[in-house]
Amino acid sequence: MNHDLEELTTHCIRCGFCLESCPTFVQTGNEMESPRGRIYLVRSAIGGKLNWQEDVKPHLDLCLGCRACETACPSAVQYGMILEIARDKIEKEKPQRAKDALLAGTTNPTILKTQLALGRLLPGKRVPGLISHLLSGHAAEADRPTPQQEAHFPFLDDKDLPAIKGEVYLLEGCAMKVLYPRVHQVTRRLLRRVGFVVKDVSQGCCGALHAHYGNLTEARKLGERLIKSMPDNLPVIVNSAGCGSTIKEYGHLMDGQSSAEAFAKRTFDVSEFLLANGLIEALQSAKGLNQTATYHDACHLAHGQKIVSQPRELISAIPNLKLVPLNEADMCCGSAGIYNVTQPEMARKLLERKYDNIAQTGASIVATGNPGCHSWIAQAAREHGKKIQVLHTLELLEAAFVGLELFEEKPI
Amino acid sequence: MILTHQQENPIGGTIPNMPSTHAELAKALERLLTPEAVLSGAAAERAYDCDAYTVDRSNPTAVVLPESTEEVAKVVRWCCDNNVPFTARGAGTGLSGGVLAALGGVVISTKRMTRILEIDVENCCLLAQSGIANKRISEAVKQFGLHFAPDPSSQTVSTIGGNIGENSGGPHTLKYGITVQHILGVTLVDPRGEILKLGGKLAGGPGYDFLGLIVGGEGTLGVVTEAWVKLVPVPKAVATALIAYSTIGDATKTVADIIAAGTIPAALEMMDRGILQAVRLAFGLQYPEGAEALLLIECDGEPETVASEMEIVKQICTRNNALEIRVAADEAERAKLWVARKKGIGAMGRIAPSIVTHDGVIPRSKLPEMLEFVYAVAKRQQIGVANLFHAGDGNLHPCFYFDDRDPDQIRRVIEAGEEILTRCIELGGSVSGEHGIGVEKIDLMKLMFAPEDLELQATSKRIFNDAMLCNPCKVLPNQKSCVEHQKRWRGTGW
Repeated sequence: MNHDLEELTTHCIRCGFCLESCPTFVQTGNEMESPRGRIYLVRSAIGGKLNWQEDVKPHLDLCLGCRACETACPSAVQYGMILEIARDKIEKEKPQRAKDALLAGTTNPTILKTQLALGRLLPGKRVPGLISHLLSGHAAEADRPTPQQEAHFPFLDDKDLPAIKGEVYLLEGCAMKVLYPRVHQVTRRLLRRVGFVVKDVSQGCCGALHAHYGNLTEARKLGERLIKSMPDNLPVIVNSAGCGSTIKEYGHLMDGQSSAEAFAKRTFDVSEFLLANGLIEALQSAKGLNQTATYHDACHLAHGQKIVSQPRELISAIPNLKLVPLNEADMCCGSAGIYNVTQPEMARKLLERKYDNIAQTGASIVATGNPGCHSWIAQAAREHGKKIQVLHTLELLEAAFVGLELFEEKPI
Repeated sequence: MILTHQQENPIGGTIPNMPSTHAELAKALERLLTPEAVLSGAAAERAYDCDAYTVDRSNPTAVVLPESTEEVAKVVRWCCDNNVPFTARGAGTGLSGGVLAALGGVVISTKRMTRILEIDVENCCLLAQSGIANKRISEAVKQFGLHFAPDPSSQTVSTIGGNIGENSGGPHTLKYGITVQHILGVTLVDPRGEILKLGGKLAGGPGYDFLGLIVGGEGTLGVVTEAWVKLVPVPKAVATALIAYSTIGDATKTVADIIAAGTIPAALEMMDRGILQAVRLAFGLQYPEGAEALLLIECDGEPETVASEMEIVKQICTRNNALEIRVAADEAERAKLWVARKKGIGAMGRIAPSIVTHDGVIPRSKLPEMLEFVYAVAKRQQIGVANLFHAGDGNLHPCFYFDDRDPDQIRRVIEAGEEILTRCIELGGSVSGEHGIGVEKIDLMKLMFAPEDLELQATSKRIFNDAMLCNPCKVLPNQKSCVEHQKRWRGTGW
């Protein structure tokens, strides 16, 4: 990224309109943990008035990178970009091995699978305390993720479906592929329901977590590889908000390279793609769900991609389902990539706040469009007695056709 | 590092056990509260060295985040015992440096005091801690069809405590009045650390109106920790129109004619060409080619009244050569217009790295003349200016935009501001409508008030504040040691 960090920070005129949108500021009341404060600290460090490692780093570390401040900012300050470049700078000055290892583990399917398998041999259910202490100095809060099992869905008969209109690529991702294989299954089914089939290719990680956590070089490398793996001019469908947000910004990440810009332009979050291609019409003939549901905005959908209404429109179209509004729906749940491992205390506070808001709606299902939010909120739901089921938006949509029973969580 | 107040002790004399370094002071405060409630060190000092008025900057020694009135009182008493200045701070969205830690010392942030303590729907009032954002009050009582009427443009973030300090206005003050008319009572930690309750749930009460002094006291008379606020019903019907003009004169004439016709709209706002570029970029606000000024006019109340008032407004606009009159079709469009208006100044970061928003008041009849003057000053000083303001109140907000990395531009911005506000006084107006004096306009108080007036105000201040430790160097220009200090904080660039 050739963007001048100082130039990016000068767009903040300190009006403070971001303050109440920032989860860490709302929790702490501390302006160093607010977007305005962090931008000010970064700008001061560039000017040599503050020290990057001692003065600035702890506050950037506590940032979720949820980018709610970008939605609130009237001056269009590119906070996400400021954060990524500043983190990259800090990381280059003084690399953190434990974080690198965690990133590598989460974003490499083979390593992740092995770690999860080995992890089951360890006592307890949390992320190993050693990793947590290395990263945050605190005890772990996040449970070790348990991979979803694939479901045995009924056969989709071509004669009940619209003719095939075209092919798309589907980003399988790294963590998503291992942890939420069922979401990929339903993505393929829903795409087929509106006339699209997936062109399968061998692919890798998109680099989103690397970019968010200060390793822009690796993010670029992974991004370039992903672009090469999907060379045809076909839509790229993404069902993980964090990945979609990063891919849509590949142009910035790769300094305006035309291939990156073009790839970004043909990338769609699955909810916007399905809405634009007639899923609402298809849902009219679905059997529907007699349920009350609510929707949690994944930050990288609502703030990173400005996708707010599309998933809600789709869910509202499910026959017999009642969609109820969620208070603070677009406030981060605390998962934020690897944040619930690097900052367990703050992540836990935000999770409890999120869960309380969800519980207050009276809904029995909460839908969301990102694997991080999915597993984190599901942990809270387990801890609070499994009264609420957490589903990916697409799982809820497919359940409208095939029923909820296939989406029960089964212990492995 | 040695504490500022030791070198320039505002009241003279030293106290034997007074902490002598920033770290010692922070440690003492940590013992008083908890370590989590105290922020200190280089980053904290930097993050709290100014509010949204960025021309003047001064580091606090430490910041505390108390959670209750009692904790605030503890801190204030400790400051008094140790001769340390203290300054209350809410969201830090002020535009005159009202929360600048002018002599260093302790910043008392109210941002962990954000709870609503009681809602009395029957009597239409609510008790909240002072750190709650203005908008959150209205959100909490929306279900009862009520809201808190004062709506400064910063209301999504600015706190009720800050609104009380500055006696904030907002677009709807034209009809509903300013903050002071909506505050029933406060809990105040006075400058000695005593907890006082002024007013209460019910309006009125005999005796002197100290509450009226506190509201608009800019935090110099104590720290407001809780407030009883009045709630009013959300109007049954609202109509909002955006009217474009090809000349500023036609727009200002419309404003005068509407008021003269005996119509009091809920809001009567004006935007000039300078701000239109920013709001178009930021919010996609559309306006016809050749528009030099826009008026945003809102009527509210019973449906019939709203319809007839809007009809009168439209007729007056047409008579004054309006290019286009667009009435918002639905709530969504109406909300969009208001976002553009309220966040308009915030959008100026798209154009320049820094802004200073002024706050002069003039008689409405002088609006065209004053605007001409503002443009002339900006041109002469070679700085950009945009205007977006409460035309119905004659409350101007010229917003200068500039690059604060250039000390000469900062100097010219300060000069231009002084010229404009001096002109406001000459035209029979005031140097502040709602942003307060803070440190920004302290030198202009002498132009507005005779020495005897200022002395009377100083005497009133001493009822509460004899030690001069409570938010020093604000509002009144006659505090010892501040003149010297002003040189240190004024115009601190990057």
